[in-house]
Amino acid sequence: MKRRTLFGGVIAVAMVGLTSGVVAQQPPIKIGMSMPQTGGLAGGGKASLLGIEIWRDDVNAKGGLLGRKVELVVYDDKSSASETPAIYSKLLDVDKVDLLFAPYATVPTAPLMPMVKQRGLLLMGNFSFQVNSKVQHDMWFNNAPWGPPDSWPDSFLDIAQKAGAKSVAFLSADQEFAQNLVVIAREVAKKRNMPIVFDQAYPPNTVEFSSIVRALKAAKPDVVYVSSYPPDSAGILRAVNEVGIGDNVKVFGGGMVGLQFGAVMENMGSLLNGVVNYNSWLPEPKMYYEGTKEFFDKYTKRAVEAKVDPLGYYLAPFGYASGQLVEAAVKAVGSLDQKAMAKYLHEHEMQTIVGPMTFGPDGERKENAVLQAQFRGITDKNIEQFRSSGKQVILFPEKLKSGDLVTPFEAARN
Amino acid sequence: MKRNGIFFWIGATLFLAAALLMTQVIGNQYPFFACYVILQFIVLAVAWSILGGYAGYVNFGTSAFFGMGVYTAVFLLKAFDAPLAAQIAAAAAVGALMGFALGLLTLRMQGIFFSIATIAATIVIETSITNWRYVGGSAGIQLQRPMVTEPFNNYVQMLFFIQALLVVLAVAISRYIQNSWIGRGLQAIKDDELAAECTGVPTLRLKLLACVISGALMCAAGAPAAMYLQYADPSSAFNLNYSVSVLAMSLIGGTAHWAGPVVGAILLGATQQLLTVTISSEVNVLVLGVMLVLFVVAAPEGIIGLIRRVLRNRSEGKE
Repeated sequence: MKRRTLFGGVIAVAMVGLTSGVVAQQPPIKIGMSMPQTGGLAGGGKASLLGIEIWRDDVNAKGGLLGRKVELVVYDDKSSASETPAIYSKLLDVDKVDLLFAPYATVPTAPLMPMVKQRGLLLMGNFSFQVNSKVQHDMWFNNAPWGPPDSWPDSFLDIAQKAGAKSVAFLSADQEFAQNLVVIAREVAKKRNMPIVFDQAYPPNTVEFSSIVRALKAAKPDVVYVSSYPPDSAGILRAVNEVGIGDNVKVFGGGMVGLQFGAVMENMGSLLNGVVNYNSWLPEPKMYYEGTKEFFDKYTKRAVEAKVDPLGYYLAPFGYASGQLVEAAVKAVGSLDQKAMAKYLHEHEMQTIVGPMTFGPDGERKENAVLQAQFRGITDKNIEQFRSSGKQVILFPEKLKSGDLVTPFEAARN
Repeated sequence: MKRNGIFFWIGATLFLAAALLMTQVIGNQYPFFACYVILQFIVLAVAWSILGGYAGYVNFGTSAFFGMGVYTAVFLLKAFDAPLAAQIAAAAAVGALMGFALGLLTLRMQGIFFSIATIAATIVIETSITNWRYVGGSAGIQLQRPMVTEPFNNYVQMLFFIQALLVVLAVAISRYIQNSWIGRGLQAIKDDELAAECTGVPTLRLKLLACVISGALMCAAGAPAAMYLQYADPSSAFNLNYSVSVLAMSLIGGTAHWAGPVVGAILLGATQQLLTVTISSEVNVLVLGVMLVLFVVAAPEGIIGLIRRVLRNRSEGKE
């Protein structure tokens, strides 16, 4: 017995020695971030994190970066701005991470901007909106497709104007992202000489929208621009289904958050038909780039285990793309020199699974790549239907267009 | 009693000296970020306990006071570029006014009705700030820190020390109240307000005083948070989490003695900070709830109550 124990011990020590010999040659490259895993942004945060994890596994399978494995250090920021400064301080000062990714969304990211600017660090942004406009940090790169701030509502109102719409109605949630959008949308409408006949912000916890939709209907707008959050997006569509919106309305939608998430889409089913809404990625033929299909094959499998959005179109591929940006920059620079990496990212067009990206001086995408797509022929309670093309027809941008607008909205609903 | 006082002030001085020494010796930023949050919770819990513990008026509006503190600072910074000390002083004044209004509420409302009214007040104030574009409105506002003043070489270290000062101030006030006629009066209100009134305790005046002091301290604790985050948005500043955490801290620590909320805030605050960077998932939200339930069941008078009971048992055993 004793001899066997000794023998086992020797083997164990030898094994540890062997494996550590291989791994310990180079310490891993640590990428630190916080991610909303609880609270209001958790759904998006988890999907986004899965995208980044798939990138990590892919890059490690290829031998890592600079011959070193990539390791993620992730903490939960509870969807709150007040948690992130301490977490990023821990990442930098205690965990000594090599690179930083920002958490998903604007609010948790905002307090980080002055911090990374003061310390001169590269920060890869994750779907925040205009968070760098005041701080003007030149080492910030946002993976979101937003582009210049006014381009997003502009493309929607452009589609509407081409369909003959004149007057516009705004319906917006009284919350950070929705208000940012609608403020810009108002300016765009003014520039396009579209009179605003209805403009209402509702409190974030509103659940019953039929009275608001009735008032909106009475104003007889030609186009309705909605900027809302997931629960209210669903409430608004239900109210529209009950009350109707009137025959005047040619285009409806625009900035409804939630209609990109599998669970919400499945839930809403046929109520989605006709809505023209923004999106970041859709399974239309022109949206596939190198590695896109392979990514979604992996994502679909792992999403079940991770209990995140089964479709994952909105955020996950962009998390992967952030990884690709870093990967390309590190390879080109040949080190982890963040200044040089930032310079490289500013100067080159980057190829990712969500298409080519170029960055302006403010670290936002140079070109607006936000899709405007119309829901078509959606049936109830079937999430798999969204995997096939033609269910969300891309109307904008022109080069990715996969169909024409069906108008008016009431006709498109059926 | 007097010797106690000397010990207290020696302890407070040592605490401040240690905090100052920390800022001069430790180069690593993280301890300051983490400890700042814990200190902030100590001030909030001690302030909450003045009304909620001594007088038994359960205030769910901590986040309203905290958020007002944050936004007072934001407003002063944006409008007048006011220095940090002015921000904190102004926040304390605003908090005192808010506390006065809250105190008037107690005229008509007690128990659960008072608690509900404080939640309502939070929502009303948050909605007003959400619609005030000048301080950023619902989109939030990013702030630029001014240069740090000597002897600190980093802004967060300075904020940490200022919050430590606020802790000493809050604890000293709370301790004074507990040991004075005010505390005894509040205790009487907690036990039976009607009886207290009949025996000549000036109940309204005492309640107003407790509300004003508690409100001023909570708002003052919120003011540096604007500079700590360099960002303010209504949903983070008025987060109901502040109300719930502070309530849990005071109850877990024990509300009968000034040290209770301090112990509770250190314990829970440190646990939360630790969990954020270790388990970091849904579990850390669960921990707060489980701890609260455990303490309410096993130690309804909190840690302080538990210690007292142990000490009493021991002294009884000796006899």
